[in-house]
Formats: sequence, C-alpha cells, structure tokens
Amino acid sequence: MSRAWKSPVTARDAAPTPLAVQQALPFVEPAPLVKPPFLTPTSVQRLWFCIWLPDLPLAASRSSDDAAAVIEEQQGIHRVLLADRQARAAGVMAGQSANAALALLPTLQLEERSLLREQQALEALAGWLERFSSFVCIADHDVLLLEIAGSLRLFGGLRPLREKISKGLRQHGFDASLAIAPTPLGATWLARAGRRACIRDEQNLKRELRHLPLASLSWPAGIYASLTGMGVTNIGDCLRLPREGFVRRFGAQPMLELDRALGHLPDPRNAWRAPERFCSDYEMTEETSNRELLLNICRELLLLHEQFLLARQLGTQRLSFSFFHLKGSATELQLGCARADRSAERWLELLRIRFDQLVLPEPVIATRLRSGMTQALQAESARLNFHTADAGPVRRYSIAQLAERLIARIGDQSVHSTNLVAEHRPQYAWRTQGLLSDWTSSTLSEVRRHLRRPLWMLPEPILLPADSGYPLHQGNRIRLLDGPERLETGWWDEEGISRDYYMAVNPAGIRLWIFRNRRRSSSWYLHGYFG
Amino acid sequence: MSSSLDKLLENPRVWRGHNQAQRKAGLASGYPELDRYLPGGGWPPEALTEILTEQYGIGELRLLMPALARLSAEDPQSACSEPGWIAWVAPPFQPYPPALQQSGIDLSRMLIVRPKDTGEILWSAEQALSSGTCAAVLFWTEMLDDQASRRLQLAAEKGHSWAIAFRPMTARQQPSAAALRLELHSSAQGTRVHILKSRGGRPTVLNNLNL
Repeated sequence: MSRAWKSPVTARDAAPTPLAVQQALPFVEPAPLVKPPFLTPTSVQRLWFCIWLPDLPLAASRSSDDAAAVIEEQQGIHRVLLADRQARAAGVMAGQSANAALALLPTLQLEERSLLREQQALEALAGWLERFSSFVCIADHDVLLLEIAGSLRLFGGLRPLREKISKGLRQHGFDASLAIAPTPLGATWLARAGRRACIRDEQNLKRELRHLPLASLSWPAGIYASLTGMGVTNIGDCLRLPREGFVRRFGAQPMLELDRALGHLPDPRNAWRAPERFCSDYEMTEETSNRELLLNICRELLLLHEQFLLARQLGTQRLSFSFFHLKGSATELQLGCARADRSAERWLELLRIRFDQLVLPEPVIATRLRSGMTQALQAESARLNFHTADAGPVRRYSIAQLAERLIARIGDQSVHSTNLVAEHRPQYAWRTQGLLSDWTSSTLSEVRRHLRRPLWMLPEPILLPADSGYPLHQGNRIRLLDGPERLETGWWDEEGISRDYYMAVNPAGIRLWIFRNRRRSSSWYLHGYFG
Repeated sequence: MSSSLDKLLENPRVWRGHNQAQRKAGLASGYPELDRYLPGGGWPPEALTEILTEQYGIGELRLLMPALARLSAEDPQSACSEPGWIAWVAPPFQPYPPALQQSGIDLSRMLIVRPKDTGEILWSAEQALSSGTCAAVLFWTEMLDDQASRRLQLAAEKGHSWAIAFRPMTARQQPSAAALRLELHSSAQGTRVHILKSRGGRPTVLNNLNL
C-alpha cells in the first residue's frame, strides 16, 4: 500500500530535471544553432514572385516627363535620392546636394520625397497585382511579393505570367527588378541583386544564392562592414562560417534569415488585402463652377468606382461626394440607395436629382468619391417574360427604387416606413423604420381589436384649458364618449405614465383622444384625433 | 316607342356621360350611401380625388379607411410581384400605426414621406403615383393649381394609382382637374359630405354620413 503511494511521487520528482537542463542552456535562440532539416518534400511547393521597385520614390512623385529628381534631407542638407534618366545623362547623381544638381541642370525639377505617396503607389500596385495571385504581400517599403504557384495554370505557365506582370508594371510607369524563387526571402534577395532569376527548385536556389553579394541582403551596415572586413563577400562565404560562432557574433537574426532564404525554415508571410472601400480624387488644374463639367467628373469617378466594385463582386448602399474649394471647407453630398448597387448609371441618376439642389458656395478645385460600407452583391434572376409588350400595367420601378429617388431629393430622415412595437404606452407603441436598411422585416405584433386608438397622433400631448374641471377644446366644452381606459405602466424607466384615456367629441364634431394624468396634476391633455 | 329610343341610343354620335364613367368600376368606399352617388359605385380608380376639409379629425381618414384597407390587403394587379403600397405625403400629424392596423392597413407596406415645401410635396406625390408600386397616394397640400392637378391626374393614370389630395376649404373656388371633389363638414350630429364635382356624376349633398 505504501509502495503504491510512493512510486508516483518519485516520478513527479524526476519530471522537472529535463526542463531544468533546458533552462540552463546558455543561448537564448536555440534554433539557428542546430542546422534545421530540409522541409519535407511533401509540403506544398510554393513559388514566390518578387517585384523590387528601386525607383519607387521617383515613380510616386508627381513630376512630368522632364528631367526630375527626388531629394531627401540628410543631416540638414537636401541631397538627391534618385534622378531619372534625363537627369542622370546630365550628370545628376544620387548623393549630390540639391544645389549641385541644379547647377548641373538648371531645368531639373526637384521634389521632396513623400513616404505617404510611395505607400499609396505601392498599395495601388498591390491592388492591381491581386488579379494575378490571391496572395500579395507588401514585404518592404519597396518590395512586393506574389505567391504564384497557384496561378501558373490559369495564366498558361511561368513565362506568360511573368510577361504579363512586367508589361503591366511598365504601363504603370515602374522600372522593376523581378525574380522568382521557391522562398520569399530568396526571391527578394535575387531581385535586389538585379538577377532576373527564375528558379523553381531549392537545389538551384542554393546554388544561385551562394554567389549573391552581401550588399543585396539589406542587413544592418555594421554587420555588413565587419563581414566584408573578414573577407566574407557573398552568401556562400557566410554559409561556410561555423554557425555557432556566426550566431554569437552577429545575433540570431542574420542566421535565421539565411535559413529562411534557403528554405530550411518556414517563412510565413501576411497577405495584403485591398481595402474594401473605394476612395478616389479628381483634381482639376483650375477652379470651375460649371455644373455640367462637375457632373462629368462625378461620372468618371463613378465609373472607376464601378470597376473597383466589379473586381470584388461587391456593391454599396451609400456614397459620398466631397467638392473641395480653395477657400472654406468642402461641400459634402451623400447618396443612399435601397439595395447595394455598383452601377454607375444608377448612381448617376440619383446624383442628378440631388445635384440640382446642391449649393456650391465657391468654385470647385477637386472632387472626391468615397464609398460607404460595401457588401457582397447578390445577383437576382430576372423573370423570363415573353409578353412584356402586352403585359398590361408595366411597373416602372420597384418600391426600393421609388424610396431611393425620394431619399435622394428629400433626405434620409424624411422618408420612412412604420412598424409596431409591443408596448402599452401609446407614444412608444410604434417606431419609424428606414427604408434603406431593413425595410422587408415583418410586423411585430397584432394590436388588440377592442382598444380604441386614434388614426392621428400628435407628436406631443397638448395641454387643454379647463373650465371648472371640464376640458375645453377650441373654446368649447367637450363631451366624453367613451372611457376611461387606464394605462399605468413604464414604472421601470423615466417615462412611466399613469393616465386615464377618454374618447371625446367637441361641438364641431371632431373626435378627440384625451387623457388625464392620475398622478401629478389632474389637467387634461389632447393626444390625438380620430381622423 | 322604346325600340326607336334604343335605336337612337345605339347611334355612336350619342354620348352618354353616365355610362362613360361607369365603364370602370369604382373602389367601393365601404359606405353604401356614398357609393350610390359616386359614378362606378365607388371612388374613381386611377384618378385624383380631392377632399376639402376645414379641420382635421372630422372623419376624413375614416371615410377612406375601408377602401384603403382593401387596397392594402389585396393586390389589384396580383400578377406582379410587388403588392400595392400606400404612400402618405406630408401628413399633418403622425398616422398612428396601431390604429391603422386596426383599420386593416398592412403596415409593412406604408411609406411616409415628409417633404419640406410644396414643390417637394407635389414632386414626391407625382413620383409615388407614377412609380406603379403605390396603390394609393395620400397627400396634404394647400397649393395645387390647375396645372399641378392635371399632372397628378396623369401620373395616377400612368401608375394605376389612386391619388387623394387633402386641401383646405379655401381651395373650393380654384379650378381642378380632379375626377372627384368632396367637401367635408362636420357637426355634432355627424359628417356632411358635399360632392362638388364628380366626373360622370352630379353634385350632391349627403347629410349625416355615419362614419
């Protein structure tokens, strides 16, 4: 009995030992120490297409075709970061001060580097690249990665796909360096090195990477300097160094990167997703108040918007236009639609209704179109109708279309439907219901038949003057016809009521719905007419 | 004698106003005394009806409720998918949903529009009438000139809809293209309905209609 007790106890005592040994190991990052095995060949073969955009700052600048350069402030001096071909031909080089560059080429257009515009250009490009792969990744401020193993069949192989992408990049005005490799990091390094490599298996990748100079790795300058000082100039040299010493000297990160590039370690990436909302600007060279012209601009924006939504099979229920003026804040215009839609023509029709009434305080310099929340568009099948010509009453448009036309002109708040609420307090027994949102939802409950309710309800009860306790309406005493109906409810919130409702008629024959407060004062109130 | 009269009546050159109006059956109003005086035995369908009142609350809605309830319950053009809606344009107070449901109106097909000015009231009414989705369009306006009433009359015909305009008593002297014009007077005894104009009928006064 006592032995049986003892044996599990010893087992528990023994358990912590391996853990203690592990904790006593001197290295923080144990992974790079032991060379990891190759990934099993059964894992899905991936192929990464890397696009390196060395001239992104220039492509994202707004300069025209003339000689241009992008400058950046470095230690208080504006220096040339990138110059285009014409400027380079005139002798402008990266690293020159802005004044020196201007002295070489007086017509040079200088522009300050804008990281925001670069980011926008990169995202626009990523959005365009989504047509080639479901996995697009912004790997760095100037690097885009596509996983293309799954796209090869659709685009008819590697070569046509590569040609399509490089042609599109040229059309977008980018001078890109491309590389294809089985690992994302490998592809990036190859692209940075300017090798137009196209490698499909890992053995070739290893061979190709060995010859890559360390300069294309974008490692910190300190590591690069000390490695070059040691006579290590390419990746092959790095790999020949003892792993343990390398990790101890330079940290785990470079070794991890090498292992990832060679495919020894997995390298998961985050896919980039294009924003689900549309936002586009149209800037004009000069101000205009010409409404026809502005409508045309809106039409172009709506066509872009339609393209955007079509590519994603989405629709939207709301749109907003902003018309910017040089002075003062922008004029806003909101449009709503009953059903999610993307058709530019339909939106334009709604816009025309509203645009007639829009007051533009000043001429417009720029227009922006923003879409609201988007939602998946559900296609509807039309009825197969062979007799449209003699179908008798032709319904021109549905209630939804009627509602959106009315809302476009009158406003969202002024067009609604109603519904019942299961509530005894008369003022809460109903609610308005927007037509654009959930206008098909059904009626909540049935009103009990025996209750007398007026067809007209006043927004607020009106205090009736009284003549020695009798309520007066239009100066005359009124006659009670029916009642009282006692409503005493709502004690659980601020709006509790305790009222006696009566149906009454005044001498002119108007039937009234009046009540008397039971609690506070005994004054009479008019709450509705029996229509 | 009678055969010669029949012959005369068959002559296409003889125009009989009474029959002309009766070609289209009216919407039964639910008040037999009133139906008797309305050509077609009810409210004129696909046309503009004007109701002149001095005050609200004297039964102007109760007068319409039976007909509206029937329009709301059944779809006159049931071959089409969407049933008839009832649009309220610029009502003076809030139409109270519980009471409307008691009267038999389908609340899921109520459209309430509150435009800001007369121009928008008429525009909204015309849109709703000509859309072909509203079985009835009720609107409240002070201004309704001859031209506007003609437009609304045409819109009602086009959209197969029943237009009901509520106007103040002062509009009595103004010309109107409405197919039917009623005046409502109320007293403690009951409501007096005065048919001012009725296409294919004749002006009448109905005393003490029990609404």
